[in-house]
Amino acid sequence: MMIGVFIVISIFLPSKFLTIRNFQSISSQIPEFGFLAIAMMLAMLTGGIDLSVISTANLAGIAAALILTKFSIPQVGGYEEIFIIISAIAAALTVSLICGFINGVLIAYVGVPAILATLGTMGLFSGIAIIVTKGYGILGFPEKFLLIGSGTIFSMPVPMIIFIICALMMVLVLNKTSFGFNIYMLGSNPTVARFSGINNSRVLVRAYMLSSFYVGIASIIMISRVNSIRPGYGSAYLLQAILVCVLGGVDPSGGYGNISGLVMGIITLQILQSGFNILSFSPFFKKVIWGLILILVMVINFYSYKFSQKSKKLKIS
Amino acid sequence: MIGNNRNIQIRRIFRQNESYLFLVVIAYSTLITSLNPSFLSLENLFDLGKSSAGMGILAIGVFIVLLSGGIDISFAAIAISGQYIAANVLIATGIDNIFFAFLISCSVGIALGAINGLLISSFKIPTLIATLGTLSVFHGALLTIVGSKAINSAQLPDCFKIFGAKDVLILTKANGINYGLSIFTLIFIAVALLTWFFLKHTMLGRGIYAIGGDMNAAERSGFNIAKIQFFIYCYVGFLAGIAGVLHISLIRYSNPTYIVGTELSVIAAVVLGGTRITGGSGTIIGTIMGVAMVTILNNSLILVGLSSYWQNFFVGLIIVISVSFTSYQSKRGIGSIILNRN
Repeated sequence: MMIGVFIVISIFLPSKFLTIRNFQSISSQIPEFGFLAIAMMLAMLTGGIDLSVISTANLAGIAAALILTKFSIPQVGGYEEIFIIISAIAAALTVSLICGFINGVLIAYVGVPAILATLGTMGLFSGIAIIVTKGYGILGFPEKFLLIGSGTIFSMPVPMIIFIICALMMVLVLNKTSFGFNIYMLGSNPTVARFSGINNSRVLVRAYMLSSFYVGIASIIMISRVNSIRPGYGSAYLLQAILVCVLGGVDPSGGYGNISGLVMGIITLQILQSGFNILSFSPFFKKVIWGLILILVMVINFYSYKFSQKSKKLKIS
Repeated sequence: MIGNNRNIQIRRIFRQNESYLFLVVIAYSTLITSLNPSFLSLENLFDLGKSSAGMGILAIGVFIVLLSGGIDISFAAIAISGQYIAANVLIATGIDNIFFAFLISCSVGIALGAINGLLISSFKIPTLIATLGTLSVFHGALLTIVGSKAINSAQLPDCFKIFGAKDVLILTKANGINYGLSIFTLIFIAVALLTWFFLKHTMLGRGIYAIGGDMNAAERSGFNIAKIQFFIYCYVGFLAGIAGVLHISLIRYSNPTYIVGTELSVIAAVVLGGTRITGGSGTIIGTIMGVAMVTILNNSLILVGLSSYWQNFFVGLIIVISVSFTSYQSKRGIGSIILNRN
């Protein structure tokens, strides 16, 4: 499917699409979005959903931005600046971990359905973000911090390198550790997981914390790329993150899905996105298309599931 | 024996979510009144009744969807589509009739609701994902095809303004200013009664409770699940159409980006009213109480003098607390669930 989309767009818009600059811009957009999608995938693997990813990202970004703008004085030299940047990153990750912990505790120990818990925390986190900033944006970060979002190493964008490393780490976690195995188990059948000696609640809390950790990384990349943060930034990403998961073969009812499918989904979406940008579609029309694709994929999944059920029955008989 | 019986009844009343909520609403109102006496005036209450009618009608729609075990987040997009299309058609054709506006808005609502219903009942798409998709399709399509320009008060057909100012019961204050019970409140009450009757006394209504409780059991006892689901989403669309017209008549202005974004607080109100998101349990009274709570909260934040920045935070906090409370209760003992359901 990804290759199909790629070929179709290349044929129709060869002069603008097949340029190095376009690929660079695609690859600089993939990471922040990819992190959010991985976070969403983790929640979906456990059979839940995380609607609070965007507001978590905002809150984490604001925490980092506050430290960066409050403490960084232009004349301080090398070491202190780096120290401030590191503490800002640490603050963002800590905030996101706390958010994930709240989600996880609500879902696992209090027993709130994931949709509701994250719907509530979505309002809560974005509310805190608005109160802290009074609705204004924060902008102007130290230059070294901006390198995270827009620098390049050997003409590879830095965010892309971070993303590749983190995605590979997630592959390892999901496939090679007992924690990853437990997540799949929990998602496909919580009762069985419990009876086979898995501490469901603990796995859930950890899964949501890990998910939020990735959201935290996304927020750092995001704020350093656009050099500002305001509450509500990136709210369109929520639909797209869910879309990517579904497109990449993650089952929203839990238990199925892997990183390679997800990455395919992300790349497909980004190629489409850049195609739309070249055709200069209005944002409203893009909205229609994202929605249509989401529904279409679900309908196709429905038919392919039905088909596979039929062929199974045929084999048995 | 009789005393014992009454004791059980009283205990049941206290175990119900509605009673808790009622007490909270009363306590909160008293608190606000002591801080700002203008809160409990009849005028402010009538005003609240008027301005919350649209949200209340949307909440009843969401209530039915949650009851059936689904969730709908596209209703706001449907409401604004109905409203904006109706206003545009009225301007284009020159017909200045509020009933015509209702007709168009509700037809649009039913048509869009039918799309949701079709996706959910025949393709078995999870309701959250289906309506998330249609939310973006409906709203995007409205802005692309119909337009993105706001209709201001001068362009607006007069029937909306007349309808918006219509009071059924007019009272006069001591200083000679008239105020009254708006027709909006009556429409809301009518919708609530209609829905209550139909949930309680028709086969279709019982079917909604049944599929929310246990879909397999409902199917085996002979309910046509696809048909019921299709109906539910059409009904939500219909209610959204009504709410759309009420909204435009209230604010005398139509901007195609309004209403969308309020989904969260409507769902919050319904959940606050004790409707379980997993389906099968909840009451209309609870939903109305939830709407009252959220409306009073929003209204009082302004009266008390807290800035509107706090609104998101409080709505989120209230969802988290109330949902945790009910979930924790039902997790503690299955016995309490059975008692609560009656």
